[in-house]
Amino acid sequence: MKLLHTADWQIGMKAGTLGDTGARVRDERLDAGRRVVETAKNHKADFVLVAGDLFEDNAVDRVLVQKVADILGSFGGSVFVIPGNHDPLVPGAVWEHPAWRSAMNVHVLKEEAPVEIPGGTLFPCPVLEKHSGRNPTAWIPAERTGGIRIGLAHGTVEGVRQDEPDYPIPRDAAQRAGLDYLALGHWHSYATYPGADGAPYMAYSGTHETTKFGERDSGNALIVEIAAPGAPPSITPVRTGGIDWVTVAKEIRERGDLQAVREQIESLANPSNTLVDAVLSGLLVADERAELDHIEQILSSRFLWGRLDASRLRPSPEDDTWISNLPPGIIRDAARRLRDNPGASPEIAARALMELYAIAGEVSQ
Amino acid sequence: MIVRSIRIADWRCFLNAVEVGPFEDGLNVIHAPNTTGKSTLFEAFRRALLDGHKVMGKDVEALRPWGRELAPKVTVEFVHMGQEYRVSKQFLDSHSAVLERKENGRYQRLAEGTAADDKTREVITKNPPGRGLARLENWGIAQVLWAPQGSLAIGQLSSDVVSDVRNMLSAQVSGAGTGPVEKRIEEHYLQFFSAKGKLKTGKEAPLLTRLKDQLAEATEARQKAYTLYLAFEDASRRVEELHARRAQARHDADEITKALRDARVVADAYRKLVSERDQRSERVTAAEAQYKELKQRIDLIKSTETDLSEARKKLATLENEAPLKDREVQEREKEAAKRKAELEDARKGREAVDVASQLADAARRFNECHRELHRLEELTSKIKKADKALADCRQKRSAHVAPDARTLKAIRKAVKDRDDAQVRVEASLITLEIVPQKDGSAEVVAGEAPGAVTMKAGIPTQIQGSPEVVAELPHVARLRAWGPVGSVEEHRGARAKAEQKLKELTEPFGTSEPDALELLAEMAKDLDTSLAEADTRLKTLLAGRTLEELVQERSILETTHKTFLDAHPEWEKAFPDSETLEAQAADVKRAFVACVENAEDAWEKAQNVLAAVAGEKETLSQRLEDTKRQVAGLVAKLDGLTTDGKSLQDRDAELQRVTMAWEAARARFTEIQDQLTQYEDDPVAVVDRLEAQLEAANQESSLAREREVREEARLEGLCAQGPYSALASAEERVAQLEQEAKREELRVEAIRLLRDTVAACRTEAITAVSRPVEAVATRTLQRIAGRRLGRIQVGESFEPAAVVPETFEQAVTLDNLSGGEQEQLYLATRLALAEVLGRDDRQLVVLDDVLTATDAGRLARVMNVLEEAAQRLQVLILTCHPERYRGLKNGTFFDLEKLVREAASK
Repeated sequence: MKLLHTADWQIGMKAGTLGDTGARVRDERLDAGRRVVETAKNHKADFVLVAGDLFEDNAVDRVLVQKVADILGSFGGSVFVIPGNHDPLVPGAVWEHPAWRSAMNVHVLKEEAPVEIPGGTLFPCPVLEKHSGRNPTAWIPAERTGGIRIGLAHGTVEGVRQDEPDYPIPRDAAQRAGLDYLALGHWHSYATYPGADGAPYMAYSGTHETTKFGERDSGNALIVEIAAPGAPPSITPVRTGGIDWVTVAKEIRERGDLQAVREQIESLANPSNTLVDAVLSGLLVADERAELDHIEQILSSRFLWGRLDASRLRPSPEDDTWISNLPPGIIRDAARRLRDNPGASPEIAARALMELYAIAGEVSQ
Repeated sequence: MIVRSIRIADWRCFLNAVEVGPFEDGLNVIHAPNTTGKSTLFEAFRRALLDGHKVMGKDVEALRPWGRELAPKVTVEFVHMGQEYRVSKQFLDSHSAVLERKENGRYQRLAEGTAADDKTREVITKNPPGRGLARLENWGIAQVLWAPQGSLAIGQLSSDVVSDVRNMLSAQVSGAGTGPVEKRIEEHYLQFFSAKGKLKTGKEAPLLTRLKDQLAEATEARQKAYTLYLAFEDASRRVEELHARRAQARHDADEITKALRDARVVADAYRKLVSERDQRSERVTAAEAQYKELKQRIDLIKSTETDLSEARKKLATLENEAPLKDREVQEREKEAAKRKAELEDARKGREAVDVASQLADAARRFNECHRELHRLEELTSKIKKADKALADCRQKRSAHVAPDARTLKAIRKAVKDRDDAQVRVEASLITLEIVPQKDGSAEVVAGEAPGAVTMKAGIPTQIQGSPEVVAELPHVARLRAWGPVGSVEEHRGARAKAEQKLKELTEPFGTSEPDALELLAEMAKDLDTSLAEADTRLKTLLAGRTLEELVQERSILETTHKTFLDAHPEWEKAFPDSETLEAQAADVKRAFVACVENAEDAWEKAQNVLAAVAGEKETLSQRLEDTKRQVAGLVAKLDGLTTDGKSLQDRDAELQRVTMAWEAARARFTEIQDQLTQYEDDPVAVVDRLEAQLEAANQESSLAREREVREEARLEGLCAQGPYSALASAEERVAQLEQEAKREELRVEAIRLLRDTVAACRTEAITAVSRPVEAVATRTLQRIAGRRLGRIQVGESFEPAAVVPETFEQAVTLDNLSGGEQEQLYLATRLALAEVLGRDDRQLVVLDDVLTATDAGRLARVMNVLEEAAQRLQVLILTCHPERYRGLKNGTFFDLEKLVREAASK
């Protein structure tokens, strides 16, 4: 049996920090979905499992629902979907959309009841509400009845740090339920959980497209092969994500650091599909001010989205050119005051000094 | 700007054209007595430079010479920034203005009319007057440089002058390049902020404002989207709840239906039992009624028969008692009549009682009257005696003449005076005592009693006299005695006076002996006492009445006494014994009362007995009647009960029969009742309840369904709007705008901070630089007035605000200085500011009759200061005391009076 395991597409999710770029990022998630289906086709998967959170929320635009149904419907083979905690099976859910009835190969599994699949049995664990302390896999009968047993659940494997247990799933849930593989959804990073023999019998595929900065190992789908009932599954992650979320954080200490940052940013591949969040802190020398502006310009012009946070970057008190390059008299006095006595908002004072420097520069030209 | 000359004509007191000048670059003094026109000249100079030539109004009309229709004219030649100018103005009629500039040694017209006004004014001020004549605030830098008469103090300078001073000062603290940078900063600042520091709005609003507006709109849109999203979640929850409620209602309905089915079966069986029970109950009731009726009738017949028998017996008894009672009543009536007659007889004894009582009373009163009469007679007699005794006392007292205490005291004094005088007389006499051894005589030659004096042997013979005593013993001796000379006559006179007085006092009493007089006084006292006692006795006897009253009272008693005697003549001889008579009367009365009471008691008893017996008779009659009626009634009742002709035995038999039937019915009823008690609840009621519950459950279910359908439709509507996606877009938009606004705000605030910081640095720099103005002014003041006042403190607008004496750390306001010190302080400050303003172009300082309160000593120091200032400034002093300024070494003097005279003579 070969299957493709995916989850947490979070279609329709908002990207507040990205501002107007959020729409583009949302669209990219649909493209990533198409790549998932393509991957399933390329790897000749028997069926596709979607372990919940296909949508970010039940109240997403219904056009998106149609699009996702079309994307999954384009697979050709069976697609088994369970609702997750973001799109639970509640009144008004996305699952009520007529698109699901049209996509004949897409099966939205709404009950805790075994389903015949090619070569075995599927035990779906649909989510019926946003939060719960119940183990969703508890209903799966442990007796083996022949064939490969696959579980499909959405929740948190015990041991993952969280404030309150949310659909807790035991680490040995696969063994307890006598499953050959338990396909999990909920957490966005790829992770596997070995059984007693060291082989992974349960795994998170992670989200098919990265959802935020700092997200580890996301943007994948899993190709899972199981040779026979009881045989350990072979799990292969396949990249499906199209957007890179890159964080560049640097403390500027000496001359040249800014240039290094710029070069690092410039070296990022595929800028039109890259989001860059640059956070700089430390001390700025006067003659590197232009470098800073350059970095900001590169970020705003070259990348899908770029932000420069220099709020904690301060004019270096040891760099006297902040002062000496200015006209003597009250201008220098003002500059000194801005640099050395920033007052309640050092960020504003630093910016004021930079503005002064820029103005002085303009005037001198 | 400095002035070269001033020409004035047809201006107030200047009828003829007068020209004053040419003024030197340094110190110039225009002097003239009062009313010559010094201040008018200064005024004309000001008008030429500051006022428009077309200005009208009564202030301008006042410039005309009095009573004349002449147009005031003035011409001023001045130098500004190295160029020589001449401005000529005519006001009011045919007003005109011409400004000329000297070019190649000749004045060429530069501007005329209003342009000439403006260009001329620009030399001094940037703040022209709106209408009318220029006021102080329109003088520009002249506010500092020119001090009109009596106005040496520096008030609030106009902002343009303050700005000029500051600019002149600040040029020293800013290097080259500062200005453009500041200007650029200001330009940046003004892109965002108004001059008052507020963020610009409207068409000129900066990007930040627009971003904030957009952000506000986006936030509102987000709020709406969020509200819509919440509505979606709410609707979803509600639909879920309604699902559950409907399912529950359906489940409840099914349960109720099942229970209802079972309950109906039970209810049917129950109903059957109830019906049968009811039937049996009816039968029991009927049998019981029959039994009761029958039993009641039998009991009634029996009791009626019994009652009838007793009534008849009672009737017979009563019929026997009636005549006996009649007889008893008659006897009692007789008895009562007899007792009444006895009572009437007893009452007739009242008369005797009255007679006895009256007699006793009359006897008592007669005795009282007699006693009273006797008493009165005795009293009258006593009173008469007392009255006579009183009259005797009075007579004795009248006859007895005696001195009173006061007279006695005077008599004693007179006696004493006499005796004292006598003693003094004797003391003042010379006494010659001869004790002859044989009888003889002496001849008193000088002495009290001159003449012969017979002497007896052994008996002293005294011869007294004053101032000497001379006695001759015939044929024996001439004896002469003398002594201290005293005023015996005087003493004798006093003695005679005292004797006369004594005589006068005692003459009425017949003696002048004090003891006798004392005795007389004692006797008079005793007589007074007796008199008082007699009087008291009389009053006591009268006891507040008069003798006539007593006599009259006695007369009345005598009449009463006679009346009694007339009625009882026997009493004249023997007084009646009133006590005995009263006792007798009491006895008669007692006997009478007892007799009457006994009779009354007897009669009352007889009455009571009669009433009782009569009552009994009445009762008996009533009972007899009642019994007869009772008998009749019972007979009728019995007849009514036995109309069916049955006997009692028949009725008993029937009763037995009915009793048995009733018991049988009861037994059958109890049996059914026991069956029914097996049911705990009323099955019919249970069915009703269940039916109602089913109805309610069905209704609830259909209501829930309706609501569910409605909510589903609403939910569907909300789903179609994709609220989450709308919210996501709105939030991203808000985040985008927030980022942009934050970025822009950072820039705007940075510009504001930059501008404020530069302004603060500038202010501090200027403040630091304006200190030299304070220092210069302070030094000048100290040169004039000494160190006492300390340092001048200058305000933000460069007006002197206070002084800070060296010995006193705190600032002292200027109103605490003397008039002279204030003059000197203002002069020092004006000169210090004038030096700042005159740095680029030599300036004119005008002092019109100032320093009037400054003494000669300080004035000399002021001259030194002015001469030094004149090296950098042109100083023009107007004064009516030229002698004060003669000390100036380099001053140029202009005698205005002389110039006016010369002009008039032309």
